[in-house]
Amino acid sequence: MTNYVLQAQDVAIHYGGVKAVDGVDLTLEKGQIRGLIGPNGAGKSTVIDAITGRRKLTRGQVSLLGQDVSALGVVERRMRGLSRSFQRTSIFGQMTVYRQIELASHKMGVKDSAADAEAVLNELELWSLKDSPAEDLGYGEQRRLDLGLALVGRPTVLLLDEPMAGLSVKESLDLAQHLKKLTSSWDVSVLLVEHDMDVVFGISDVVTVFELGRVIASGAPAEVRANPRVREAYLGSAA
Amino acid sequence: MNLKKSSLGAVLALLLGAAVAFGITSSTLLSLLTQSIIYAVFALGVGVLLKQNGMVSFGHALFFGGASYLIGILLQLQLMSAELAILVTLLAVTVAAFLIGLVIVRVPGVAFGMLTLAIGQMFFLTASRARGLTGGADGMNIDWPSRLFGFPMSQMLKPATMFLVCWSTLVVVMFLLAWLMRTRFGGITEAVRDNEERARFIGITTLLPRAAVYALSALVTSVAGVLSAMNTGFVSPESMHWSLSGVALMMVVVGGFKALWGPAVGAVVYFMFKDILGEHATHWMTIFGMALIAVIVFSPTGVAGMFDRWVLGKKPSVKVGGH
Repeated sequence: MTNYVLQAQDVAIHYGGVKAVDGVDLTLEKGQIRGLIGPNGAGKSTVIDAITGRRKLTRGQVSLLGQDVSALGVVERRMRGLSRSFQRTSIFGQMTVYRQIELASHKMGVKDSAADAEAVLNELELWSLKDSPAEDLGYGEQRRLDLGLALVGRPTVLLLDEPMAGLSVKESLDLAQHLKKLTSSWDVSVLLVEHDMDVVFGISDVVTVFELGRVIASGAPAEVRANPRVREAYLGSAA
Repeated sequence: MNLKKSSLGAVLALLLGAAVAFGITSSTLLSLLTQSIIYAVFALGVGVLLKQNGMVSFGHALFFGGASYLIGILLQLQLMSAELAILVTLLAVTVAAFLIGLVIVRVPGVAFGMLTLAIGQMFFLTASRARGLTGGADGMNIDWPSRLFGFPMSQMLKPATMFLVCWSTLVVVMFLLAWLMRTRFGGITEAVRDNEERARFIGITTLLPRAAVYALSALVTSVAGVLSAMNTGFVSPESMHWSLSGVALMMVVVGGFKALWGPAVGAVVYFMFKDILGEHATHWMTIFGMALIAVIVFSPTGVAGMFDRWVLGKKPSVKVGGH
């Protein structure tokens, strides 16, 4: 039997009669990157919200390292190792880069929060900007800082919501390499929602395709890319 | 500003206060300066709430007048020494504000402002009508003992001494706030203010820090209330009226809320307008209103922002919240 670090079973989020997500099953193995793709409004971000506790489940269960965390709030899930980034850059604009990373590290209960902050900032090549207010950084640097906030405290699972949005091709590739490296060096598993197909198919171990709140395909990248239903629903003939 | 610089600034400010107290011989001028310093502490309380929580209160006069009333009632009842009564007053206001804060800081933006207004006016009306306890609309005299903290009250109430007491209190409160903002608590409140959602996702429970800042701002404002009770020996319901909260807010806007000293400067500017311009123009408030509009349009960060831009060369930033 596989030991999943994250397991979402029969997850549903309904808004009245609208089924934003309906009966989704997802798993993540240790060190795995699972790409989540699908057209806008397919329910990808809602699934991340459901897993992290930002939205209340209508039905289903979320387990982290075999423990049911469905009843826990956002803060408790984060403390247990379930971390995320947002579609829009979500940082503390008026705080310096170092202060916010160190604060996050302290709040996550890391004993040597200064060392942890330094490690995160070095990993994301932001150490040289440590004394700059976050609002003064370039967009790409802010996206990396956003990722840094999600990385403090060495989470078990990282849920990334379009981390490449708005980045240049080079910045996207750099960030993708960072992510791939993190799964082995930081022992973190990643659920990646992204529209950049080159990145998703380039770094994911498995890819899941969403349409209208449901999973329509899941498997190895090559297998998913070749799936006629996926090509018709999302990738198009050019894929 | 680091702690060393803050300490040096505080020592210099205390020396400046001593020089003013002993250098100015006009009792009237010293009394006016004392009044402006008391309001500077009041405005500082309102400013802290805006700076650390990004919230605007229209009801902080509640804590200003409330502290004056509470100290007055405690002294009237003669249940404890005046020194202990001051401590009890400050603690009671802080605890009450924290409990109120736990409920109202959940509400964002204008709704929060309206709630503070409603709560403030509720207590204003209570104070106006509870004649037996507060003297009603006539107000109440505050019976200070003959000695306070070992000093004769007659000495304390001399204009130079009173100015020095109020000035020193302002400096100490500002120093303590500057220190507090540099601690972990300051970082947490900044994070919650900048981006509450992200704060939750780095493990911060966001309600308590917001309520704590609200209580902290009430504590600072209540210090002003106690100073006012000492200075005038009298309190009336007007000291709890919403218009007084509005005046404090104007001081914060004029002085700027980004720097801790901004609201204090705003209070001094307000009293300069009131006392100097008021001598020559009946409707001085109209002129102050125009000055207020000019500040909001041309320098939203107030006098402190202008200083930062023109003297220190810092870039402007008026954001108080995240997205």
